[in-house]
Amino acid sequence: MIVRKFVVALVGMSAFLLGSAPAPSAQEMTEQYIPIGQSPGLSGKYTVIGKLQSVNAKEQTCTVAGTTGALNVKITARTKIWLDRSKLQQPNLQGTLADLRPGATVEVKPEGHLRGVSSGPAEWIKVDVASAP
Amino acid sequence: MRSRELFSTAFVMCALVGLSGCKSAPPPPDRLSQLIAKGSDLFFNETFGGNGRTCGTCHPAENNFTIDPAFIATLPKDNPLFVAEFNPALKENFENPALMREFGLILENLDGFADLKNTFVMRGVPHVLGLRNSVNSPGGPRTGWSGDGAPGDGSLRSFATGAVIQHFTKTLNRVPGVDFRLPTEDDLDALEAFQLSLGRQQDLVLPLRLKGTVPKRGQEIFLDNKLGKCNLCHVNAGATANLGQGSLGNANFNTGVEELPDQPARLTTQKVPRDDGFRTPGDGTFNVPPLVEAADSGPFFHNNAIETIEGAVAFYDGEAFNKSPAGLTLAKLDPEGKGIELDGTQIVAIAAFLRVINVLESIRQSIMLLEASLAVSSSAERARLLTRAVRETDDSTRVLTGGGLHAEAVAHLHEARRLADRALRSHFFGRKHTEEAIREQKKARAFLVE
Repeated sequence: MIVRKFVVALVGMSAFLLGSAPAPSAQEMTEQYIPIGQSPGLSGKYTVIGKLQSVNAKEQTCTVAGTTGALNVKITARTKIWLDRSKLQQPNLQGTLADLRPGATVEVKPEGHLRGVSSGPAEWIKVDVASAP
Repeated sequence: MRSRELFSTAFVMCALVGLSGCKSAPPPPDRLSQLIAKGSDLFFNETFGGNGRTCGTCHPAENNFTIDPAFIATLPKDNPLFVAEFNPALKENFENPALMREFGLILENLDGFADLKNTFVMRGVPHVLGLRNSVNSPGGPRTGWSGDGAPGDGSLRSFATGAVIQHFTKTLNRVPGVDFRLPTEDDLDALEAFQLSLGRQQDLVLPLRLKGTVPKRGQEIFLDNKLGKCNLCHVNAGATANLGQGSLGNANFNTGVEELPDQPARLTTQKVPRDDGFRTPGDGTFNVPPLVEAADSGPFFHNNAIETIEGAVAFYDGEAFNKSPAGLTLAKLDPEGKGIELDGTQIVAIAAFLRVINVLESIRQSIMLLEASLAVSSSAERARLLTRAVRETDDSTRVLTGGGLHAEAVAHLHEARRLADRALRSHFFGRKHTEEAIREQKKARAFLVE
C-alpha cells in the first residue's frame, strides 16, 4: 500500500514538474551584442532577415519581406528590440517600437523554434541601424 | 613543430575519446581528432582578439577545468583572470576582484547589460567535464548554472559566443570586431567537439560493487528514494533526473540555495544581488550538475556557497532545501510527508560515496593519461600528459584523505604519483616508470571497488 502511494506520488510529482511546456533555454542577454545574421544555431535556420515593409504601432505589428516571403510579426511585451550598430563600430543598444522604421534591415526571431512561419509573435528583433532610413 | 604537437594532441584526444566510449555515433576518426585538436588549441590559446582571456583562463585543465580560491592564489598578478585589476577599461562593473579572490566568484550579466552597476549575479565556475551526459533535456539543451548559459539556439556549441561577449571583451562597449571577435562557425564546431571529449563519455550504472563500509552504506542511502532521495534528481550520480516517468534529462529545480543563511559572499560588504536563475526574469531554478565530478571540483552550488562535499550533502537536510519548491515537492511524494532528513553519519556516508566515485573517475582519467603518454612521440606532449596524470593522482589522494577513506589505496596512489613524476623526469626509464604507475593506479582502484 505504501509502495503504491509512493508510486502515485512520484507520478504526481512528475506531472507537476512537466505540466507546463518546456521553456526555451537560450541566454537572451548576450544576444544583444551579436550582429544580424550571426546568431549561432539560429540565423539562417530559425530567423528571418529582410527589409521592414510596414509598421503598425497601434496594433504592435510589423511586416518583414524575407527571401521566402513576407513575415507578419507581432511585437509583445516579451519581444526584445535591439539596435545593431556593429557596422558603425558602436555598442548595440536596446530599442523600442519607435526604432522600427520601414526600409530598415532587420532580423526577426519568432517565438519558439519554428521554421517557415508566416506570422506570429517575435522573441527578438534586431535592427540594422546603418541601413535604417 | 606546432603542427606536430597538434597532431599528437589530436591523436591523444582521439584515443581518449575512443577509450572512453562515445554514446552517439562520432564523426569519422580523422575528422573528429582534427576537430578536437583544433578545439583544444582554441580553448587554451585563443583570445578572440579580446582582453587576453581564453576559455582555459577560467576552465584550466590543471584544476579540473574550474577555478577555486586555492588555485586562484597560485596565479601571477598579470594573469588575464585578473584583468579587472589592471585594465582601466574593465575596472568597474566587469568583475569583483575581492569576491573572485576570496570565493572564486565571477560576474555575469544574465539579466541584461542596461544597469551594469546593479544588475548582475556572482557565480562560481562550473567544470566542463562529462558534458556529453549533462547537457541534453527535452526542453532543449541546458548549459551553465541555470541552464540558459548560451545565446543563439542555447546549445553547447553556441556557448562560446556568449562567453566571449561576457568575459573576453576589451571594454564594456562589447562591440564585435572592436572589443573581440566572435567565434566563427568552424570555431564553434571545434570548441564543441573538444568540450564533449572531456571527462566521462557515459554515466555510471549504480550500484557499484564498492569496498569500504561507509562508502557502501553511502551508496545505499543515495539510492534509497525514501531516505537520501539523491538518485531522483541525480540518476546514477549524474546530472539527469527521473521522478518515476522516465528520464527528464538534465532538469532545472529551485532547491533554495539562494535562501541559505550566511552565504560566504553575502557576509562581506560587497554587493551580491539575488540570483534568480533560469531566464529573465528568472524562475529561481538552477541546473542539476553531475555528481561524479563533484568531490574534487568544489566549492559547491552556483554561488560557491559551500566549501566541502559533506557540507553540500548536508544542505539537503537543512531548512533552505526542505522549504524550497523542490524540497516541498519531495515531501509531497513521501508517504510520511517528509522531505530529506539525514543524520550526521548518513551525511558523511553519502559524501564518502561521492568521494569514492570521484576517485574512481580520477583513476580512470589518470590511467588514460598515462597510457596516452606512452603513445605519443612528442616529448612536450608526453610531459603535458604525465603532468596532468600527476595532478589527477594528487586529486585522488586529497579526496580520499579528506574523508579519511581507504588508507591502503592512498598508499598506492602515493606510489603511482612518485612513479609518474619519475617518468616525467627520466630520459631512459620513462616508459618503465609509466607502466609501473599504471599498475599502482589499478592496485589503488582494487581497494575501492570489486
